[in-house]
Amino acid sequence: MGQITLSNVKKSFGNIDVLHGINLDINDGELVVFVGPSGCGKSTLLRAIAGLEKITSGEIAIDGKPVNDVTAADRGLAMVFQSYALYPHMSVRQNLAFGLENSKMPKAEIDERITEAARMLEIEPYLARRPGQLSGGQRQRVAIGRAIVRRPVAFLLDEPLSNLDAELRVSTRAELAALHARLSSTMIYVTHDQVEAMTLADRIVVLRAGKIEQVGTPLELYNTPANRFVAGFIGAPHMNFLEGTVSSVQSGNLVVALADGYQLAIPARETSLEQGARITLGIRPQHVTFGSGDKSIKAKIKLVEALGSETVLHTEVAGQKFLVVIPGQHDLASGMDIDLSLSSAPIHLFDKDGHRI
Amino acid sequence: MTAPLETASKPSAVQHLGAIALAPVRLVMGLIDRPLRALQRMTGLSGMAIFFLAPNMLIFGIFVLLPLFINFVYSTTGGSALFLPERSYVGADQYQRLFDCSNYLDPLTCQEDAFWTAVSNTFWFVVLQVTLMIGAALVTALILNRNLAARSFWRAVFFFPVLLSPVVVGLIWRWILQRQGLLNFILYPFGVDPYTWLTDRTWSFAAAVGVSLWAHMGFYALILLAGLQAIPKDLYEAADMDGTKPARVFWRITLPLLMPNLVVVIVLALIRSVQVFDEVYILTGGGPGTSTLFITQYIYETGFVSQPRNPGLAAAASILMGLVLVVLTLVQLGLGRRGEKKGKR
Ligand SMILES: Nc1ncnc2c1ncn2[C@@H]1O[C@H](COP(=O)(O)OP(=O)(O)O)[C@@H](O)[C@H]1O
Ligand SMILES: [Mg+2]
Repeated sequence: MGQITLSNVKKSFGNIDVLHGINLDINDGELVVFVGPSGCGKSTLLRAIAGLEKITSGEIAIDGKPVNDVTAADRGLAMVFQSYALYPHMSVRQNLAFGLENSKMPKAEIDERITEAARMLEIEPYLARRPGQLSGGQRQRVAIGRAIVRRPVAFLLDEPLSNLDAELRVSTRAELAALHARLSSTMIYVTHDQVEAMTLADRIVVLRAGKIEQVGTPLELYNTPANRFVAGFIGAPHMNFLEGTVSSVQSGNLVVALADGYQLAIPARETSLEQGARITLGIRPQHVTFGSGDKSIKAKIKLVEALGSETVLHTEVAGQKFLVVIPGQHDLASGMDIDLSLSSAPIHLFDKDGHRI
Repeated sequence: MTAPLETASKPSAVQHLGAIALAPVRLVMGLIDRPLRALQRMTGLSGMAIFFLAPNMLIFGIFVLLPLFINFVYSTTGGSALFLPERSYVGADQYQRLFDCSNYLDPLTCQEDAFWTAVSNTFWFVVLQVTLMIGAALVTALILNRNLAARSFWRAVFFFPVLLSPVVVGLIWRWILQRQGLLNFILYPFGVDPYTWLTDRTWSFAAAVGVSLWAHMGFYALILLAGLQAIPKDLYEAADMDGTKPARVFWRITLPLLMPNLVVVIVLALIRSVQVFDEVYILTGGGPGTSTLFITQYIYETGFVSQPRNPGLAAAASILMGLVLVVLTLVQLGLGRRGEKKGKR
C-alpha cells in the first residue's frame, strides 16, 4: 500500500512543456522530497500524481495499478495545499469531517477519527473555531489533520511550511518527521528549500526545468552530486566552483591550471580527461581550512561575516568568487591575503557539460 | 550580460511614461500648494477635512436632502397648484386619503384604488422579478465562471443590455412584442397566429418582468461572477480530492462563500425593483388597464399628468415608498456588517 511508480510522465500546458519525461519509483512508507528551484515543475508533478492535472503522456501507477484514468477522489491520496485550502466558513471539526461525510461514513467513526487526529496534532482545543480564528501554524496542522483523517494511501504535501515564520518552520519540520515515523505511510513532499529536503527526506528528487537531475538519499546527493546543478543546489552556503583547464594527466594525479595560472594537483580517479580540457572544481565552503603547502590556494578576503560559532569569508580565488566557512572566531579583515588549504577537502570534478567526473 | 541590461531598461521606460503623465498633476499641485497650506494654518487639520467634504455635502444637500424635505412639506398640502406658497396646509389629509379603504384586502374598495393597485402590482412584480433575477444571475455567473470558449464575449453579451438607456430597452421590446413585431414574425411559421402581446393583461405583466430582467440581469451576474472568482480555486481542488459531489460542492462551498455578494445583489435588486418605472412605462404605459401600473408611475401620473393634478398626494405616496426603501437599505447595511464580521480572518 502506497507504492507509486511514474513512467515517462510528460505534461504540457498548451505548447509549453513543463515535465519532460519523469521516471521514478516511490516505495511504500518512504518520504520522498521533490526539490528544485521555483517554476521547475514540482507542483505540477505532485498535482499530476494527485490527479488534479491530467498528464500529456506516460503512466502513473499506484500499487501497481495504472491510475491515468482514475479520478483524483478515487486514487486514495490526500493532499496538503500550500495555502492550506481550508474551508473558511466551516469550523475545524467540519473541515476535518467534510471529506469523510462524502463517503457516507458512520458519524461515530468520523468522530473517532477526528478525535484521534486532533489529539495527534494537538488541535483539540480549536475544533469549534473557524480557520480565520487560528494562527498560521494551527491552520497548517488542521490542513494536515484533514489529510490524516482520510487514512490515505499516500500523503502529498506542496510546500506545507512555506507560509510559516522561520522559527515555526523548524519546529513543524521536526514534527512532520515524527508524524511520518508514526504513520509510516508514503509521503511526497514538495519544497524549494534544500534544508527542508535534507532534514526530512528518505530520498530526495532534484528537479530542474521539468527533468530529474538526481535521485538519492540526502547524503548521497551531498557527497556525490551527479552534476554541477545538484552540487550547487544541495548544501548551504552553496558549493564553490573554480573554472580551470587540465594541464597534465599523470598516473594518479591530475594537475589543473586555474584562471590566473595557479597549478593544483588533485588525486585523480581513472579519467578519460585529456590535456587542455575545460574542467570545474567543486569545493564546499566548510571543507576549506587555513594553511599553506601543497594543495593550497591563495585567496583575497572581500568580506568577513562573523557569526560567532563560525566565520564566513567572501574571498576571491584566481579571479573567481570563493566562499569559506571556518569554525570559530578569527581576527580577519577584508583586503587581507590568506592561504587556504584544500588537503582535507573532497574535490568534486565536473566536465565542461557539468557532469560529474 | 544582456539579461540584466534588459530588465534595467524596462522600468526606466515605465518611469519615463510615468513622468510624462505626472507633469500636469505636478503643475496643478504646485499652483494650489501654497493657498491650501495657508488655509490649513488657519483652520487646522480637521478644518481641512470639512473643506474637502464641503463640495459633496453641498451637492448632496441641495439635490437630495432639500428636495426630500420639500417633498415632505408638499405631502402636507392640498390643491393642484405647483408653487408651494399657493398651496394650502391640510395636515395628514393626503396620507389619510391614501389609507382610506373599507376593506384592506381589496384595492378596489379604497378611495385611491389606483394607488393600491399599483402597490399590489409592484409587490408581485418585486417578488417575481427579484426571485427570477437572483436565479438567472446566479446561473449565468456560474456558467460564465467556467472555462468556456470565448468567455469574455459571453460576458459582454450578458452585460450589454445594462449599458442601454431604459428608453431604448422599452422601445426595442415594444417593437419585438407589438402585433407586427419580431416575435410574431418568428412564431408565424410555427402556426402561431399574430397576437398583440402587450394588450393581454397576463402577457403584458410577464413582459414587464421579463424585459426588466433582461435589462438588469448582466449587472447582478457580474457582481456574482466577481464573487465566484474570489473563491480560491484550491478549495475546489481540495473538495475534488475528497470526492465531493458537484451538488454538495455548490451547497456547502460555493453558496456559503458567495453569500456576501448574494446579499448585496438581493438587496440592490429589491431596491431597484421597487422603483421600477422607465423601461416598463415605455413598454406598456402601465396597461392594458392598470395591469402594469407600478408605484413610481402612479406617483408620476398623480403629480404631473392627471387633471387636475395632485402634487400633495403624489408626495405622500413617494414618502411612503421612500420609507420602504429606507427599511430595505437598513436591512442591507445590517446584513453587510454581519457579513463583514463573519469574513474577518
Ligand atoms: N495551469 C498552467 N498553465 C500554464 N502554465 C503553467 C500552469 N501551471 C504551471 N505552469 C507552468 O509550469 C511551470 C512549473 O510550474 P510549477 O509546477 O508550479 O512549478 P514549481 O511548483 O516547481 O514552482 C511554470 O513555468 C509555470 O509557469
Ligand atoms: Mg509550486
